[in-house]
Amino acid sequence: MKLRLCLLALIAAATLAHAAETPQDAAARKALGELVPQAKIDTVEAAPLPGYRQVIVGSQMVYISDDGKYMLQGTLYDSKNKIDLTGQRLAVDHKRKVDAVPASKRIVFAPPNPKHKITVFTDIDCGYCRKLHSQIAEYNKRGIEVDYLFFPRSGLNSPSYDKAVSVWCAKDRNAAFTAAKAGKNPDPLKCENPVADEYKLGAQVGVDGTPTVFAADGTKIGGYLSPDQMLSKLENLGKATLAGN
Amino acid sequence: MRLPLFFTGLLLAVNAFAGAPEDTVRQAMATLAPKVKIDVVQESAVPGFYEAIAGGEFVYVSKDGRYVIDGNAYDVANKRDLTASARAKVRKVAIDKVGPEKRITFLPSAPLATKHKVVVFTDVDCPFCRRFHQQIAQYNAKGIAVDYLFYPLSIHPGADKKAEAVWCSKDRPNAFTAAMAGQDPGKGACPNPVPELTHLAQSLGISGTPTILADDGTQIPSQIAMSPDQLAAELDRLAAASAAHN
Repeated sequence: MKLRLCLLALIAAATLAHAAETPQDAAARKALGELVPQAKIDTVEAAPLPGYRQVIVGSQMVYISDDGKYMLQGTLYDSKNKIDLTGQRLAVDHKRKVDAVPASKRIVFAPPNPKHKITVFTDIDCGYCRKLHSQIAEYNKRGIEVDYLFFPRSGLNSPSYDKAVSVWCAKDRNAAFTAAKAGKNPDPLKCENPVADEYKLGAQVGVDGTPTVFAADGTKIGGYLSPDQMLSKLENLGKATLAGN
Repeated sequence: MRLPLFFTGLLLAVNAFAGAPEDTVRQAMATLAPKVKIDVVQESAVPGFYEAIAGGEFVYVSKDGRYVIDGNAYDVANKRDLTASARAKVRKVAIDKVGPEKRITFLPSAPLATKHKVVVFTDVDCPFCRRFHQQIAQYNAKGIAVDYLFYPLSIHPGADKKAEAVWCSKDRPNAFTAAMAGQDPGKGACPNPVPELTHLAQSLGISGTPTILADDGTQIPSQIAMSPDQLAAELDRLAAASAAHN
């Protein structure tokens, strides 16, 4: 009995140790802290590059040697398999962060049986955001569900922020959104809303302008694309992933 | 007798497999970016990597050729940007090969002594290049010798012809100063280093003008270089820092 208990305790300890930080992780944290004291680290883990940790800071990635001596900042490629390892890993991270926003905090325009879903960070007052939304029926017709999150470019103390809140607080949110996108000033309203959280999320996933479009797999597609271009991009993303596997 | 031969054979095989750094880098880049031009391949300060200039930018390639990082490397303990240092070295070596006969030089004149030297890639039709040269007497007064290298940018159509006309004029420094003040240098053709210098700038990843380089190849940010006082202070600082290193 005693032996059994002991073993179980050992296993538990081993599991804990595995979950805890390795010395290499700690060295990476320390190194980044020395170079960029203000960096807020999201994740530290083993990199695909042997002998290195990868550290996700907001929407960026850096690579730090396991001895903490060298830091490489940039895009890491696997030349043998032609893979952008940095983009691939960041897409997974972006997907996790974007997926954490529940449907109840999005403004959704979906066709009956969507084949694709995109998440669009949008600003009521941005020209290409308006152009995109003016074609919303066309995206939907091509089987693309469009989920909007608010990203008032000028920040949280701006008329665009107030408009986003007013749209969110309207009785018919989708209708108010479409009207505002057509240039109609929404009736000023206030209520509990996710706009500030979504704005912060945008910064966490590298949104630096609007519209910024993410595919369902977390790939940052970029800015405005016409409905046909968007569909083609989404279908080729699928192929690229298959080719990579 | 057999054994040594066998060993030699083995060593040769290993060498052939590892390949020269150039081959490793070229093979790795060929799969990722077949059209990109590779200019320099060398051992990196980061252990386990070669560094290369590909399309004007530094890349790091693992010695087994599998991984490529398009970005910058830092020495954590010394808080040094290793890519910037490597870039400066490569630029210094390349620029030192440009003879005085391919430069337009403005020296501090006696009794002023030359304390520092900068190389400036310049374009007759670039507004900040003109503003820089308007202050040439002040730079010289601070003991800074200025060597200009022509780098007419393609966004300024006709600037290459103006550079050539300046080059081919009888009094080169005066023609340069007049052109920088907005005078049309007219036409003039003769053998000149403008295409060669343009190519050099591009191969070193220099994409704009004026690009100001200290004697050790370090690029000085324009906002500093545009002020004679600040440039002098920065060159003093760089010289002191490099003296401390040696």
